[in-house]
Amino acid sequence: MSTQDSHSILFTHTRPQEGFRLLELTPELEELLTSKDAPVLELKSPSTALAQAVVDPTAHDYVNLCTPTQTYRIRQVQSSNSLHVLRPSRGEISQADIKVVEEAGESGALNLPDEAVTAIAKCSSALELHIPPGGFSAIPFLEKSLRLYDRRSDDDGDIAMGGSADSTGPLGSKEMRTARENMCQDIPVSTTQCEQGWMELCAFVDETEGVACWRPSARSRLAVWKRLVEGAVLQGIDLEKQFLVGDLWKSVLDDDEEAEPPFPRALLEAVVRRICIADERPPLADDIKWASFDKVECTQWVGETYLAATAPTTSSAIGRSEFLRAWKDCLPETWRVEATLSKLPNGCYNSPDPTTICFVEPPQRQLTNKTASAPATAAKAKNTRNWHELLKGRR
Amino acid sequence: MPSIKLQPHCSSPVKATATASTPNNPLPTLLQTPSGLALLELQGTINVPSGNEEDDIDYSSMDIPASTFETPIGKLMFPDYSVHNPDDTKWMKRAYMYIGRYQRMTGEVKKLPRPIAVLRKRQASEDEELEVVEIVRYKIFFKSRPEPVTNV
Repeated sequence: MSTQDSHSILFTHTRPQEGFRLLELTPELEELLTSKDAPVLELKSPSTALAQAVVDPTAHDYVNLCTPTQTYRIRQVQSSNSLHVLRPSRGEISQADIKVVEEAGESGALNLPDEAVTAIAKCSSALELHIPPGGFSAIPFLEKSLRLYDRRSDDDGDIAMGGSADSTGPLGSKEMRTARENMCQDIPVSTTQCEQGWMELCAFVDETEGVACWRPSARSRLAVWKRLVEGAVLQGIDLEKQFLVGDLWKSVLDDDEEAEPPFPRALLEAVVRRICIADERPPLADDIKWASFDKVECTQWVGETYLAATAPTTSSAIGRSEFLRAWKDCLPETWRVEATLSKLPNGCYNSPDPTTICFVEPPQRQLTNKTASAPATAAKAKNTRNWHELLKGRR
Repeated sequence: MPSIKLQPHCSSPVKATATASTPNNPLPTLLQTPSGLALLELQGTINVPSGNEEDDIDYSSMDIPASTFETPIGKLMFPDYSVHNPDDTKWMKRAYMYIGRYQRMTGEVKKLPRPIAVLRKRQASEDEELEVVEIVRYKIFFKSRPEPVTNV
C-alpha cells in the first residue's frame, strides 16, 4: 500500500501560541449561537457577599453561562489528551526546517505553503455545561438582595414611608427597570429567571427611602390582598373579568388616603402581576394596566400566603379548621368553596400533629423531594472529574 | 467580577484567524469552517523546543502577524479522501499523522458528540469580553501512539 499519491498536508506548530477556550455546546445553545440574531451571552458569578449568603453545596466557586432565558453551570473538565486548534498556514515556515519532515528536493507538492495547517493553540481542558436537577432559581439570591417590606397597613400613624407629601409622583417605569436590572447584575442566573423570581416574590421598587428594591413579607402580601378584595367588592369590580389596575388601586384607597396610601402602588401592582392569569401577564418592563384573576390559582396563592404569614414554622402551627376558616374569609364570597387543603401547592404545608398545619419554606420542600436523587448526582459530578471514567466514556 | 459578556460573533473578521489573505484550506471540506479553525486531538502532546525566551506566556495580547513563526512537525494525511467524492464519509475512518519523517500515528476523523465553541478574549474591547470565534463539529483524533515507519 502506498500513501505516496494521497494528498498530504504539512503540519506545523506556530509560536507564539494563542489563547483559546473550548466550550462544549448543548443543542439549544448551538441553535441559539448559530441563529441569525444570536444574543450576547453572559458569564455570571455571584458577588462575594451573595456567594457567602447563598451557599451552593455542590460548588464553592462557580461561573454560570446565561442566555437570555436559560442558565448553565460551567464545569472545567481536564483531559489527558491535548486538543490543538488548527488553522491553515500563512506560509511563515522556514524552508530550511522543512527537511525535518521531508527530504529536500524530493518533496514536490509538499513544499507549497498553502498546503499546510498549523497548530495555534493547545487546550488540555474543555468547558462543559450542565443544569443541576433542581434547575436554577433567582429566588434565594433575590431574598438576600431585596430589602424586606413588612409594614402592616392597618398600623396607624407610623406607617409613613418617609415624607409622602414631597415624593413627587411614583417612579417612572424606566427608573424602576434600571433599579431592578442593577440588582440582577449580581445574580448569577439568566434575565428571564431573574424576572421570574422577581415576579414570584412580588418584588417592587420604591423611592420613598431612596430608590430601593423590596420584597414584601407574607404578612404584607396578605394585607395587600385583603385590601384589594375589600376594595373590589365595594366598587363592584369583578376580579375574574378584566379590570383596570388603576381602578383597583383607587378602590383600595379610602377617601382620606389619596395623599398617604396604605402601601405603595408598586406593591399592589406587583401582587396583581403575581396572581393575574399568566397568559395575560405583560412583560416586567411594561406597566400592568389590565388584569384578571383565575379563581383557582388565586385561591391557592392566598392559602399559601396566609399560611406563610400566620404559621411560618412548626412551633407556630395553627389549627386546620381555624386555617380553613380564615382562608375562606380572605376570599371573595363566591370563591369560598375553592379553599380546601388539597388545593394547596404540593409540599407547601406540614402537619406537626393531625389537627394543626404550618407552612414549609420552598427550599425545605425541594430538599425533601431531592433527598433521593442527591447522592446519585453527587457521585456523577465526582465521576466526570475522574479521567478513568472520562476515557471509558470515550471508547 | 459579576458578569462577563460572551459575544456570539467574532468582532473583527479582518484581524481574526480567517482573512482574505489566508491561503486555501487544505483540509477535507468536512473539516473546514468559515474561520478556518479545526480541532486535532492527540493522546499526549507535541513538544516543541522553545527557541525564544518570550514565548508561551504572552500570547493573548500579541498582534499576530509581526513575530509568529511556524515549526514544521510532520504531515497530515487522509488517505481515503477524495475531493471528487466529498459526500462519501468512509474516508473519515482513517487519518495519518507523521511526526518528522519516521514516525506515524493512525487515527480518524470523528464527529464531536457535542459541537465545540472556540472562545477567546475579544481584543479591541475595553471591558473583559469573550467571543465565539468558531463552532467546530468534527475533530481529527489520534488516540494511538506513533509507530515507526521506514519509508514515507
